[in-house]
Amino acid sequence: MRAVVYRLSIISPVVFALLAATPRSVLQSQTSQPAQEPYHQTEMGGARPAANSSTNRAASSLHPVAAHSTFKGVALSRLEVLPTTISILGPRYTQRVVVEATFVDGHQEDVTSEVQITSSDPKIARVDHDAFIWPQSDGHTTLTAFFHGQRSTASVEVSKFTAPFQWSFRNDVIPVMTKVGCNQGACHGAAAGKNGFKLTLRGYDPETDYYTLTHQALARRTERIEPAKSLILLKPTLTIPHGGGRRFAVGSTEYQVISGWIAEGMPRPEDSDAGVTSIEVMPREASLQPEADQQIIVTALYTDGHRQDVTRWAKYESGDEGVAAVDQEGHVKMHGYGEAPITVWYQSHVTFARLRIPYPYNIRADDYKNAPRHNYIDDYILKHLQVLHIAPSPPASDSEFVRRIYLDAAGILPTPAEVERFLKDNSPDKRQRLIEQLMQRPEFVDYWAYKWSDLLLVSSNHLSDEGVWSYYNWIRESVAADKPWNQFVYEIDTATGNARENGAANYWAIHRDPLDISENMAQAFLGITITCAHCHNHPLAKWTQKDYYGMANLFARVRLKTAGPTIMRPLVGPVFENVTVYSNPWGQFTDDRYTKPLPPKPLAAKALPVDSPQDPRVYFAGWLTSPENPFFARAIVNRVWRSLMGRGLVEPADDMRDTNPATNGELLDALVKDFVKHNYDLNYLIRAILESATYQTSSRPNDQNAQDEQYYSHYLIRRLPAEVLLDAYSQVTQEPEKFEGYPPGTRALQLPDAAVRSYFLTAFGRPPRQQTRESERTSVPTVTQALHIINGDTLNNKLRTSGETIDMLMKLGFSDEEIVNYLYVASLSRYPAEAERAALLNALREAQSKQVEGVSNPRRAALTDVTWALLTSKEFVFNH
Amino acid sequence: MFRLDADKKVHFCDGVTRRDFLHAGTIAFLGLTMPQFFELKARGAVKSDKDINCIQLMLVGGPSQLDTWDMKPDAPAEIRGPYKPIKTNVPGIEISEIFPRMAKHADKFALLRSVYHTAAAVHDTGCQMMQTGRLFQGGLESPNYGCVLRLEKGPKGDMPPSVLIPYTIGALGGNLPHGDTAGFLGKAYDSFVLNADPADPSFKVPDMLPPDYISAVRVDRRRDWRQVIDQSVSYFEKTDQDAKLMDSTFHQAYTLVTSTTAREAFNLAQEPEDVRKRYGLNRFGQGCLLARRLVERGVRFVTLNMFETVFNEITWDIHGSATSVVKLFLPRRKQRH
Repeated sequence: MRAVVYRLSIISPVVFALLAATPRSVLQSQTSQPAQEPYHQTEMGGARPAANSSTNRAASSLHPVAAHSTFKGVALSRLEVLPTTISILGPRYTQRVVVEATFVDGHQEDVTSEVQITSSDPKIARVDHDAFIWPQSDGHTTLTAFFHGQRSTASVEVSKFTAPFQWSFRNDVIPVMTKVGCNQGACHGAAAGKNGFKLTLRGYDPETDYYTLTHQALARRTERIEPAKSLILLKPTLTIPHGGGRRFAVGSTEYQVISGWIAEGMPRPEDSDAGVTSIEVMPREASLQPEADQQIIVTALYTDGHRQDVTRWAKYESGDEGVAAVDQEGHVKMHGYGEAPITVWYQSHVTFARLRIPYPYNIRADDYKNAPRHNYIDDYILKHLQVLHIAPSPPASDSEFVRRIYLDAAGILPTPAEVERFLKDNSPDKRQRLIEQLMQRPEFVDYWAYKWSDLLLVSSNHLSDEGVWSYYNWIRESVAADKPWNQFVYEIDTATGNARENGAANYWAIHRDPLDISENMAQAFLGITITCAHCHNHPLAKWTQKDYYGMANLFARVRLKTAGPTIMRPLVGPVFENVTVYSNPWGQFTDDRYTKPLPPKPLAAKALPVDSPQDPRVYFAGWLTSPENPFFARAIVNRVWRSLMGRGLVEPADDMRDTNPATNGELLDALVKDFVKHNYDLNYLIRAILESATYQTSSRPNDQNAQDEQYYSHYLIRRLPAEVLLDAYSQVTQEPEKFEGYPPGTRALQLPDAAVRSYFLTAFGRPPRQQTRESERTSVPTVTQALHIINGDTLNNKLRTSGETIDMLMKLGFSDEEIVNYLYVASLSRYPAEAERAALLNALREAQSKQVEGVSNPRRAALTDVTWALLTSKEFVFNH
Repeated sequence: MFRLDADKKVHFCDGVTRRDFLHAGTIAFLGLTMPQFFELKARGAVKSDKDINCIQLMLVGGPSQLDTWDMKPDAPAEIRGPYKPIKTNVPGIEISEIFPRMAKHADKFALLRSVYHTAAAVHDTGCQMMQTGRLFQGGLESPNYGCVLRLEKGPKGDMPPSVLIPYTIGALGGNLPHGDTAGFLGKAYDSFVLNADPADPSFKVPDMLPPDYISAVRVDRRRDWRQVIDQSVSYFEKTDQDAKLMDSTFHQAYTLVTSTTAREAFNLAQEPEDVRKRYGLNRFGQGCLLARRLVERGVRFVTLNMFETVFNEITWDIHGSATSVVKLFLPRRKQRH
């Protein structure tokens, strides 16, 4: 009888009273009363009347005749009961199942409510009408679902049904408190707790929470003798006032878990408790229809090998509310076309389901099959486009391609001669050869050195002029030598010596504080923001304050000494001259939060002993750049992809966390694998992306992909970066920009220092290199930019200077038509269309015939104005 | 906080609208009950026109309420801040001793002491809610108040409906948006950003006028020819918001270039010297003065950011160190408040 009581205590008190006197056999009988239906009907919101308890509501009918295997006019191709393998441990857990139908047109539907599910042995487990599986005794049974002639089965294994059962603090109580929000950041999970009651954020530290709940506040939070008087039941049920409102009802499952645990003597969390190793979501992905409903099932896998349905205790969020909305029971409602990751969070584990509504376009399979494929990138992209019913755009024309690739790979425009040479070349591999040639050019090195200088914050706001040059030269030489990325970063991380001689050592002159260093290391090389954990555990990722301060202790032994004077930069502060970097053999970082230093620990690796004589920087660098570190290669691959493709697979590109999944995770995985296999070779990666047909598609959308902004069905147009735009103006007008303190002819992309004054560069979004962050650089058009282009002195002065392009062409005796042709090729890498040429020549003729105030040479003025119009046109300002 | 101009007729943001913005619930922020409000309105004491003008001062970093406008003098010592409350000219309202001047004008402002939020405790979420009334979720960014006004009411004359001065807020540490953009309305509804320091002696809106060697005829024909060339890439606008936006920014720029009102509105030199001094000869003070001039000349909504970031600079981001850090504000703040 003892076992019976245990088993029954989850059932609501009313039912409990009824059942306590009932022989066990009745409980398991197929004909038990509706009142004995367990809690899901009331607690899960199911309002349907109870049906026969051994099957769901269609149970009494015979199996339908398999004459028509269609549903709503579409033939069914497959039926699945998810999960297909179910194990239920003990008497108190249930398993929710979903029946997912796949149709011949490729779409899926959650047909659970349309279908009958039967258990082959209801004495082992039975199915209720909401598709919950209830254990009845140890053994094995098979679930069978029938739907329009299709059949599917799932196996159920029930074990330890009669074994004594106790709620686990770690695996039952904490998840309940997390789900109802007790320990969220805004409530008792806040760093300071709430009203004197402080839990660890989302229950990351069960031992501490156990102590808080059972010992603190005069132990009033949990009343062992009379559980119902426990504050942790009185407050959240609003039996007594609670600032956080009502979180659950008396008698609910949540209530029963907590009260059950208290009544059972509040067993403490033990190291031997099974821990969650991972979570699984089903369906993992699905193509659904507008307005469809889809239930998600979440299963946790434990260290002891058992699996458990945690659908009810997981938390959910949709990555795109416009496509799919999800409630906290894991029920998804589909809305608009597209794809949304549904992020699922249970304990510290995150996974997601990809649910989509394919676009309503009829695209033949051949369109995908016959689309150009140059390498594996295209396979992943086309596969994804196909499930989304988005058509790829055709390849870009040669003139589009030549302009695009010069700008993307090297930040320059092709000269008219280079354009003509490429257009006239008829060999089939000319694009590949052009990529190769570009990658050999010094401008390619300038461009990528500039990019990494952004990442590494090279700026005279942080460094002496010598430091800026030494750091920049080291970066540029590394790019020129195609230094593998892991080696590049390893050299920074372990840099010692005089920063004038070892450029990489300047990193340590910019970042001098262990907290700043570890935040920057995570941001720059892992694409991870850990700053949040400075004050509290990270609200969106798994990083705790211990991770944060442990990581900081890796950098506690770095020392600087300066042999030169300290320079005071106005508005910036001191900058050190002649810095030498070295590591002390001892030293710890401590924070007031902790009584003693935390062992130095890279984010997701083993800690070093606190007193280890090893240089923790070297230890960190080894972990950081090792292939076992899952974040390192991903971060740089995503950055490079974003730079070339206009949008990161993960966006923002430096916000890599489990809760921010990639739009095409398979592709990102493949790119990372390929990159690691090729020894972290950036040029290999750049080449692979540039060579892909995906990169080379036209930017012109078609009717079947115009809405796509994230699946790469067409080239994403993008405004030129500030420096590239300025250099392009200089190039077309042949009037170089003058930067104070730099030799004439220095291009913006050759500046080692982002603090060089330039109104143009600032207005157009040059990153100030204050913080390592992709969003420091912006390309958003603003009124300020428009005003500067219209009235400002940057472009106007270039166009006005004597000897610039127009002057030269006039001197050479070119006709208006020849000049217009030249300007088109020089700025847009194409000849004007007939209509454009005619319109402009007409306008020019008319303009030259009129006397304009303040103009001494009407032809020069008119041609200047045409050049202005070309250089400010969208076709010029955007790479396309 | 909302700035209310003491020298002129008190111009509230429309009460109902503001209440909606802040989700504060009732009109009690005016210290009024609804019947009182309607009575005042009937007597003409509350302006009933529907026009909306507003200046939002963003005290970047987030001043602690305990040290400013919502002290908790009865709280235990470890909760109270280091400052004492002082009486204001309204019986029953007490504010911090660090605002002696403000205390003399408590009859002209309303304090909302019920505003709070429960989202992640990072600056970014607070900024979102203070500037849009909403927390951003599911990838959806709500529009800034000024941008909503721009959509709903459009411009008054040549002036942009919404202006942000002097600079946008940069990094606040959370890597989340700050609610200072038009969000899902699209960037075409974004505020005009000044990008200049109004306290700079040579302050002017950058590039508002063409250089003298480019006559109006040339400005016009450049504009026309640019449009001819752009016809070939009309598809840009279908796929890219920025391309569409570029057209809109050019249109707005040309409106500003040709407007005499705009020229005047941004000309702080027209203010008497003693007025400029009273506002404070610093970025924030002159920003307040400029905000007033802009609203007087047709801008509906002005956002004034006190700081651009909470890093590398002393800001309101004081994290419990009120005594040491707040003192640094005092010279400036005495003047303002």
